[in-house]
Amino acid sequence: MSSRDTRLVDEELIIPRDVETGQWKYRVGALALAVLFFGLWELLPRLGLVSEIILPRFSDTMTALYTLVIQPFFPKHLKVTLYEIFMGFTIGTFIGLTMGIMLGVWEGLRKLTYPFVVAFQAIPKIVLAPLFIAWFGYGTSSKVVMAVAIGFFPVLINTMVGIENVPADMKELMRSLRATRWQSFRKAELPAASPLIFAGVKTALTFSLIGAIVGEFVAASEGLGYLLDTYNFALRIDRVFSLIIILSAIGAIFYFALEWLDRKLISWRED
Amino acid sequence: MILSLEGIAKTYRARAGQGDVEALRPVNLGIETSGFVSMVGPSGCGKSTMLKIVAGLLTPSAGRVMFQGAEVVEPSRDMGFMFQAPVLLPWRTVERNVMLPAEVFQLKDPEVSERVREAIGLVGLGEFSQAMPKQLSGGMQQRVALARVLAYRPKLLLMDEPFGALDEFTREAMNLELLRLIRPSGITVLFVTHNISEAVFLSDQVVVMSPRPGRVAGVVTVPFGPDRDIELMREQRFTELVFEVREILGAEGDAAAADHAI
Repeated sequence: MSSRDTRLVDEELIIPRDVETGQWKYRVGALALAVLFFGLWELLPRLGLVSEIILPRFSDTMTALYTLVIQPFFPKHLKVTLYEIFMGFTIGTFIGLTMGIMLGVWEGLRKLTYPFVVAFQAIPKIVLAPLFIAWFGYGTSSKVVMAVAIGFFPVLINTMVGIENVPADMKELMRSLRATRWQSFRKAELPAASPLIFAGVKTALTFSLIGAIVGEFVAASEGLGYLLDTYNFALRIDRVFSLIIILSAIGAIFYFALEWLDRKLISWRED
Repeated sequence: MILSLEGIAKTYRARAGQGDVEALRPVNLGIETSGFVSMVGPSGCGKSTMLKIVAGLLTPSAGRVMFQGAEVVEPSRDMGFMFQAPVLLPWRTVERNVMLPAEVFQLKDPEVSERVREAIGLVGLGEFSQAMPKQLSGGMQQRVALARVLAYRPKLLLMDEPFGALDEFTREAMNLELLRLIRPSGITVLFVTHNISEAVFLSDQVVVMSPRPGRVAGVVTVPFGPDRDIELMREQRFTELVFEVREILGAEGDAAAADHAI
């Protein structure tokens, strides 16, 4: 093409990305840290530096974890808690997204309701748990509501701020093309806000887990939080630790799944 | 006459107790079809304000803009606007970015993708149509923005310091590209810059503006034909015209501004 010859400067350089060098160092380092952590956990009680009643050995905890998981009653409790987390997270994200979009798009509504939003967020949500139990009963619904109450907020805030902070020239571009309000939102503002929205969704997941467990602590007859509370009361600390490990694993698995999805959906992220 | 500004002025209302801010004193200007007109001046002379008024993105305080015989009251799809930044959508490939206007206009004919491909080829990015914006250099990104605006064939192209953020070498290359692409297309261009030699190099007419309040200080006609290359900058007449523009700016008593506008 003759056009290419007229150019003074050839500036066709592709900036390389995803430079993986050095990544393995961090992996090895993380592994070493884990070994150190579990090693101390094993050694401290074994050497009598910490009472085994307060901190059972790592190996004993692992055994307790195994014997807990194979109990016939265990799957029922696991299912209940997973259901609460999943429902709380899904409903909370939906509510947060809907409200966040409305507040992000309509400045008037945002200004009108913002004090209430902040006031609600200022409530330590735990105080709502007894109330939700009174309203929705001992069953799973009060825990789902608790998970929603804690989880929706980060989604709401991130969605609102994300849409509010879409670069002005991007909106002006859409305006110069005479895009409709909906086109501008759908093609520019929502995708531009999506990295922040997704960060809120990831936080919502962790928060939903907290909500479900807190709900179960307050009053429940099933669920991992209920089990944990019961074992704690009976001083079965090894099983308490087992449950903490299980909860941590549940949170981590969900989180990494979302992170994977995040990277798939928002691969264009500039940083 | 494709475009005329009839007494366009812009005043920003200040808070109570303070005087209003006069951003632009009444401006009258006409642009012939296929003409290339630059507005040059230091920061604060209202040139960007004027461009946004022409684009229908801002409402003037007084006067009116006539475009193709009708008053401009909102953005028109016969005008293309190019910003100082490329303003690409970072989640879209080059091709899908250039496709954006057609999508917004809801053009569905098969000709559209052909036009998009052609525009990407014209700006020399044929091999990069599937690249993401972040993989491209600043100059290449601005080429994508140019392709985006060319693909829907506007009658009038409004450019707000489009190459202001680029380095000198890339800027020169882009100027040559622009002449090569625009001149045969018959598109009318209104080009805002603070670079005097760029303005003289590109235009048929240079509108010199001065600041505080923004107003037209003079108009310089550039007699060179449509076929120009970089050699033009060596010529005595070119240098003279650059100095003529400088003098108009200097006569306005704003030495700092003239310094700024190299």
